[in-house]
Formats: sequence, structure tokens, C-alpha cells
Amino acid sequence: MTDDNNKHLIQPPGKAAGDELDAAGKSLSEALRISFIVLKIIMIVLIVVFLASGFRTVEPDEQALVLRFGKICGIGENRILGPGLKWVFPYPIDKIVKIPVAKKLNLPVDSFWYYQRPDELLLSPEVRKSRVPATLNPIREGYCIIRSEEQSQTIPGLTGSDYHIVHCKWQLTYQIGDPERFFKNTYTDDTSPGQNYADVIEKSIRPLLEDLFEDAVVTAMVNYTIDEAISSQDRIPKHVKKLLQEKLDHIESGIAVVSVQLTDITWPRQVDRAFLASIKASQDSQKTISEAKGYAENTLNEVAGPVAAQLFETLKNETTGEEEKELLWPQLAGQAQEKIAGARAYRTKVVETAKANAEYLQKLLPEYRKRPELVVQKIYQDAIEYILNNVDEKIIIQPDAGIKGREIRLLLNKDQTLKPKSEEK
Amino acid sequence: MKNIAITIFIILIVAIMVLYFVSFQVREIESALVTTFGKPTRGITEPGWYFKWPAPIEQVYKFDSRMRVFEADLGETTTKGAVPIIVNTYVVWKIAEPLMFFNAVGTIKEAENKLLSQLSDTQNKIIGGHDFAEFVNSNPSKIKFEEIQNEMLADLKQPVRANYGIEIKTLGIKQLKISEEVSKDVFERMRAERNRKTEATIAEGNAEATRIKTDADSKKTELLAAAEARAKAIRAEGDAEAAKYYKLLEEDPDFAIFLRNIDALKKFLEKRSTIVFSTDTEPFELLKGMPNIKPKK
Repeated sequence: MTDDNNKHLIQPPGKAAGDELDAAGKSLSEALRISFIVLKIIMIVLIVVFLASGFRTVEPDEQALVLRFGKICGIGENRILGPGLKWVFPYPIDKIVKIPVAKKLNLPVDSFWYYQRPDELLLSPEVRKSRVPATLNPIREGYCIIRSEEQSQTIPGLTGSDYHIVHCKWQLTYQIGDPERFFKNTYTDDTSPGQNYADVIEKSIRPLLEDLFEDAVVTAMVNYTIDEAISSQDRIPKHVKKLLQEKLDHIESGIAVVSVQLTDITWPRQVDRAFLASIKASQDSQKTISEAKGYAENTLNEVAGPVAAQLFETLKNETTGEEEKELLWPQLAGQAQEKIAGARAYRTKVVETAKANAEYLQKLLPEYRKRPELVVQKIYQDAIEYILNNVDEKIIIQPDAGIKGREIRLLLNKDQTLKPKSEEK
Repeated sequence: MKNIAITIFIILIVAIMVLYFVSFQVREIESALVTTFGKPTRGITEPGWYFKWPAPIEQVYKFDSRMRVFEADLGETTTKGAVPIIVNTYVVWKIAEPLMFFNAVGTIKEAENKLLSQLSDTQNKIIGGHDFAEFVNSNPSKIKFEEIQNEMLADLKQPVRANYGIEIKTLGIKQLKISEEVSKDVFERMRAERNRKTEATIAEGNAEATRIKTDADSKKTELLAAAEARAKAIRAEGDAEAAKYYKLLEEDPDFAIFLRNIDALKKFLEKRSTIVFSTDTEPFELLKGMPNIKPKK
């Protein structure tokens, strides 16, 4: 088109003035030509820039949605773009929305914990304990109401709805599970320049999450007793997690609960002493029981040794045969064993003695029948001799004819140091 | 040719500018309201590209259609049995019908005011219709906490939708508390229950310990009795066996008794004994003098 213009400018025939005009026209046309070239370049650059502005990088921890004229485009799985370099039609046709799905976020919830002034934390535990208020201010102090145990309902003077108080701290970990639902339904603030979208999301959804989470905690906790709450630290977080996920799904928030943790739980400080006493009592009680068990074990061991319990069962069980019992007797130890061993020794001794006596008699009988007096005397004499040899003190008295019939009295000082001969050896 | 190019370019720009004036986008997160000469005429809830008359005739207002959360302040109310209870309720809501919302409410702030008054009505009505024992109960099957929340939702949902074009997505109680004076009684009760428990624990422990000990003692007695019986049987066996040998003694009972007595005597006088003899007894006769013996002829 610059050529066209030039022709047009060259058209008028001119002389001197025409020449001047011609020179001016020439320079004008030159300027126009250049500006058109510049304009062309600018236009091309603008178009390139415009088209290039459609390139977007989706980071590895993100997924993206494309809005075409405001509506999410694509069908099914194509609606969500994974990480990588993407091209979309530039503004105002398409808009890409990147959502950080992989990022796991933490939300600590302390609103069920008791109130402590910052300066209180510096005090020693004893002083802190003495400063516990007698009541709980419902605005300042956080706590959960939980049910009491069933049997305590029988206590007179109560309304029937008996309940307790517990303090607890929680931590929620969540992530964006469904980017489309999240984008469509969950309110987030607009990102102003310099702000990280992920941070904006975290800040924007915090009130919603806190409310739903506290609701889930309150709803779950009323179902537990204080002992359940303090001891079973796994069942309750699972319950809370389930309730929370149900709510989040119900409102189609696109948020997924990764985990719920009960980070801390305690009874109110106001009843600390009673609870500590209770813990001590149960420890003491355990100790008493284990001592009793020790005593039982000892007693049975003393009686019958390690097989005591087994022996007892076998004895009690009427179906076990005698043979089985017989097998256990030899394994006995302790007092029972002593008794049986004693009986065995007795049996042996009695039998052996009887046998020996019988044999002795049998041996002597023929001789005795031949010479009864001599044999008897011999045995008698041997016995006296044996006795005299073994006896500790021997006193021999000669009865006088004059004092015959008189009683002889002897005071014998029994020597306590005198030991039996067998022991002296 | 070049004129055509520039013409197309200009037409394009003009078209875009015209489109800018006569059309608008509604994004997924929005709903829109079109007013004709200031009067609301169309509500748009579906995202997409829409046309309108240019500016002075029709104007577009957009609303964020995403869920918002609103929470009422901690408020005291009473249950059916006139027991004071402190609850903190939140509502998750969104603009469902922009036309109605624009007419009846207008702004988010105003919407929250309306929600607050509606919510406190609902709260008083529903909570006032339930006993405290339905919020928390020592019998878990009597707890109706979730049902109460659902009732509140049901009560609030319909009128808010019909009057303000607001949809309530969910509602819940995020804090359930009691008044300060009552907390004192609760502590008293907790203490009492804990003390009872402590006593019960001690009593149970002692009972268990006693049971274990008694059990062991009785086992001991039984075992010893069993052992004693067994020992007796063994002794009886011995006696029976020995009796066999006694038969042999019957051949000469007198002599057998004599032998037995001698044995017994030996045994009795074996230890720690002092014995007094008369010199008339053999062999101490010898102490009196020489014996008078002569060989037998």
C-alpha cells in the first residue's frame, strides 16, 4: 500500500513549486512507509505474543482446569489437565485454573483446649495448678462435652443427662481431592499479585474446615466416655475422620481428609487430683494382684513344685486315668514330694525290717529249739553289752543287806551338753 | 489486497469491541443477573457465554456462587427442660437464585444478617424442643445430637431458599458448652464418680488378690491332702507287704516277741540315757567278788 500512496503523491505534475512539493511528499511518504512497517512488526509481535500467552506450565503437584467462555471444557477425564506445558486459547476465550492437589496441608485445632495466659506458661507446674479457676468460662475456655458411664445414671439428684468435660487438641491433614468440585464449590479469595495461590487457598478454606472439623469433633465426642476418650486414642480420630469426610463430600467441597490426629487429651485440671488418685489406685491394685499371684505361685511351688498346677488339674479332672496321674507323681517336688518320699521310705523300712526279723528268727529257730536257755541268754547278754557300751552314764548300786527294801533315790544332774554319740561323730 | 487485509483487521477489532459490549461470560464459580433499565430481568446460574443489550439498556451483575461459611456467635439458649446450653452454630451457604437474592438481600453482609436472625429462630425452636439428655447421654443409643443438627438444617433450609434465594448446604454445631456455674457441678460430679471408681478399683483389686490367694491356699490343701492320701496308700502297701513276713514269726511267737523287745530296748537306750544297775544284775555281780564256778564234770 505504500506503493499506492507514492503513486498518488507523484501524480500531480509540478514545476518549481511542484518539485518542492514532490520533495516534501517524498519524505512524508517515506515516513509513512516506515511507520507502516513498524506498525506491521508491532502487529505481528502482538499476535505472536497473544498466541504465546496461551502457554502455561502446570507444576508437578498441580492439576489444571480450562475455562472456555467461563465453562469448564472437556468431557470426563479430559476436563482435568495433568502437569506439563499446556497451550490454551488466550484471554478472553480460555482461562486456565491451576489447583495444587498434591500438597498436604495441616490444620491444628486447639479450640477444645483450656485457656492459659501466655505468662502462665512460664510458671512452674505447682504454681499453675494452684491457679486453676474453679469454673470454666464458656467463652474463653475450650472443651468437649462427653457422655458419662451408664451406671452412674443411678445416682439420685441428677437430671438423667449426666455428662463430663474433657479437653483435647487435634490436627487435621487434608488435600484437595477433586479439583473440579473444589474449584466450582469452595470459596477462595482472589489472588492478588505476589501471593501464592496455594497459600490463598489454605487461608480461604480455613474457616470452613475449622467449622466442619469442630462439628465432627463435637458430634463424635458425645458418644464416648472419659475413659474411652483418654485410653482409646485411635477409635475416636477414626470416627471424627469419617464424620468430617461425610460432611465434606455432602457439600461437594472436593476436599479429602488425609488424616485426623488427636494430639492431646486430658481431664479438666479442676479434677486432676481425683484422676491421679484413681490412676494410682489402679496401679496399686495391679500391684496387689501381682503380689497375690506371686504368693500363689510360691505356695504351689512349695507344695508340689513346677508341676503343681498341672497335677491339680489332672487330679480335679475325673476323666483322666490313673496312669496319667501316675506319670505326674514322680515329677513332684516340695512338701507333697516329701510326704510321698517319707511314705516310700517307711514302706521300704517296714518291709525290710519285717523281712530281716523274719529271716533272723528263721535262722535262730533251729538253734533255739535245741538250746533255748543258752540262746536266750546269749542274745540277752549281747544286748546288755551293746546298751552299756552306748549309754552315756552308768551308775551301779550295791543294795546293802541292812538297808534292804529301802528305796534308793538318786538325783541325776542331766548334762545338757551331753550329746548323742551319733552326733559327736 | 492490502486494503482488504486492513479492512478485515478493523472489522475484527470493531467486532470484538461490539461483542465486548453485547456479550458476557459467566464462569463456573459465578452466577449472574441481568437488569434491563435497572430492573432485574434475568438470572443466570449456568456458566457460559451470553448476549445482552449494550450498557445503558442491560447491565450485568455477577455473584460468587461458591459456598461460603457463616457462623453465629456463641449463644446461650435453653433446652426443653429449661437447662441452659451454649452452642455455636455455623452455616455453609451459597447464592442459588441470583434474581431472588438480588431482590430480597442484595449483599453478602445483608445475607449474613438475614441468616443470623433466621438461624437464631431455628436454634431456639429446635433446641427448645429437645431435652438436654438428647444432646449427651450416658446411654449412647439415646444421643440424638446428629438428628438435632439435621432438624435444624431442615427447619432453616426451606424458608431461606424461598425467601432469599440462598441454599443452605449444611449446618452444624461446632461448640457445645454449658454455663459457667454448671461447670462447677460437672466437676463435682466428675470428682465423685472418679472417687467411686477409685474405691471400686481398690476393692476389686483386693478381692481379686484375696481370691487368688485363697485359691492357692485351697489348692495347696487339696494337693497336700492328695499327697497325704497317696503317702498313706504307700505306707499301707508297706504294711501289707511286711505282714507277709509276720506270718513267718508265728512259728514261735514268744521267741519272736523276745527278739523284738531286745531290739526295742537297744533302740530306746541308744541315746542320752543314764542307766542305773544293781550289783545283783549280771555282769555286775562280778564287782562283789569272784564267781564261784567250777568246771562241769
